[in-house]
Amino acid sequence: MPAAGTEASGPATRRRGSARRVRPLGVRYALAEGAQGFVRNGLMSVASVVITAVTLVALGGALAVAGALNHVAATLERQLQVVVYLRPGVTPEEIAAAHSRLEGMPGVAGIEYVSPEEAMRRLEAQVGPQAKFRDLLQHNPLPGSFVVTATGSDRLAAIAAAARELPGVDEVRDGGHVLERLLAVIKAVRLGGTAGGAALACIALIVIAGTIRLTVFARRAEIEVMRLVGATAWFIRWPFVVEGAVTGACGACAAAAVVAAGYALIAGGAARALPFVPLPGAGEVAFDIVWKLLVWGVVIGVAASLLAVRRYVRA
Amino acid sequence: MVEFSGVSKTYANGVTALHDVSLDIATGDFVFIVGPTGVGKSTLMKMIYREELPTRGTVRVEGRDVTRMPARDVPYLRRRVGVVFQDFRLLPRRTAWENVAFALEVTGALPLHADRRVTDLLETVGLAARADARPGELSAGEQQRVSIARALVHRPRLLLADEPTGNLDPDTSWEIIRLLARINEDGTTVVVTTHDHTVVDRLRRRVIAIDRGAVVRDDAEGVYAGRRD
Repeated sequence: MPAAGTEASGPATRRRGSARRVRPLGVRYALAEGAQGFVRNGLMSVASVVITAVTLVALGGALAVAGALNHVAATLERQLQVVVYLRPGVTPEEIAAAHSRLEGMPGVAGIEYVSPEEAMRRLEAQVGPQAKFRDLLQHNPLPGSFVVTATGSDRLAAIAAAARELPGVDEVRDGGHVLERLLAVIKAVRLGGTAGGAALACIALIVIAGTIRLTVFARRAEIEVMRLVGATAWFIRWPFVVEGAVTGACGACAAAAVVAAGYALIAGGAARALPFVPLPGAGEVAFDIVWKLLVWGVVIGVAASLLAVRRYVRA
Repeated sequence: MVEFSGVSKTYANGVTALHDVSLDIATGDFVFIVGPTGVGKSTLMKMIYREELPTRGTVRVEGRDVTRMPARDVPYLRRRVGVVFQDFRLLPRRTAWENVAFALEVTGALPLHADRRVTDLLETVGLAARADARPGELSAGEQQRVSIARALVHRPRLLLADEPTGNLDPDTSWEIIRLLARINEDGTTVVVTTHDHTVVDRLRRRVIAIDRGAVVRDDAEGVYAGRRD
């Protein structure tokens, strides 16, 4: 093995800038090596970040939707109301009779009679001052109703069933049913998002591990020496763990931005289409999911890094 | 220092590397393990620093059974056992000095005056003047000296050299063997595997001959006789 770099092989070669100092290699070494590995892998690192982001968008999207629906469900639950709509042309006697019957039911905390005129006034207030239905319509099409407040959400169904039997009653809107269905939807969204996210997470894991394996391969001589001179397994692993964590965190930030933007778009549309449904704001949602995505991104990245070095560092 | 008792090693592919090997290397010994290539010499060395585990039998290093050692203790074993290889295993982008220092840096266990120790070790192996050269700028013999300095940086009581002269010409080989003998005189137990008869016959130290996975000879002041290669 002859000397390779010829001009610098005099007997007393001194290299400028080589400080002859033994430096303890600690956190900074792991961070620097990890960052260097991430940068050196270039497009492969980008691919890793993208696949992680895709995974976390699925998870984050599900979280955001479930979160919004939860918000709606919580609002509905707080209301604890059964709305009893009366037939058009109901007589004042029938109204009074229904009122007293409702009042006597167990679990009823309060009753409010909303006349057709009052209902129109409230609708106008909710939709906005520019809408003047009274000027457009000759008859008020809204029915009169009782808003019955229950003592608890478990009473809603019973009150609704009893109210349906009353004379003069046309239709009963029971918040409980909506709530039940909503909760089922939330469960499905959560489950679907988690299942989809988990499947994608496996792919992300493989892609990240493949990328980090490039770093492991590039540094295999160094790893071999470290093993032989007695570096601990964790010392050897740390730079790769850092690279995995950086990949996961970048993917999480990208995913959080995509989900927040997507949510803002959809929630904006939804707010226009369904002005009565209370939805949380995009900022609130982003804040809520970003740390969850960060945790998951870092977990996936770190798991992938451990997978990548497993063959080289057993202990 | 090193004690093999009833050690056998059969690889997953059915090849038997060692068969019922028992031997004892006392503290302060200088031992040649000789035999043709592929008879289990390297396997035997790897068992000492626990790169390989025997299929049967026990290997004791400084009284401790390394075959039952938990994996987390292996790094600490390797700081007490220096290892030198035929292919040096130096990091090409680091200078000689940095290669030696690296072994201290990555273990996080820096002794007092670590800088001094690295410089002194390069002095010991006769490379003080080439401390800032990279492996590519050094001759094979010089590179092997760097790897010996690195193996000694944790002040091991046992130095293993697996075919240390395999890539060297006869004169350089003899210099390296003399360096190992000097290290041994300073109190370090040295085990050298080789199939180089010249150096073995010239140094006249204990020779353990291995053939087909078994110890066939163990002479206190031996020569490389009875060779088959």
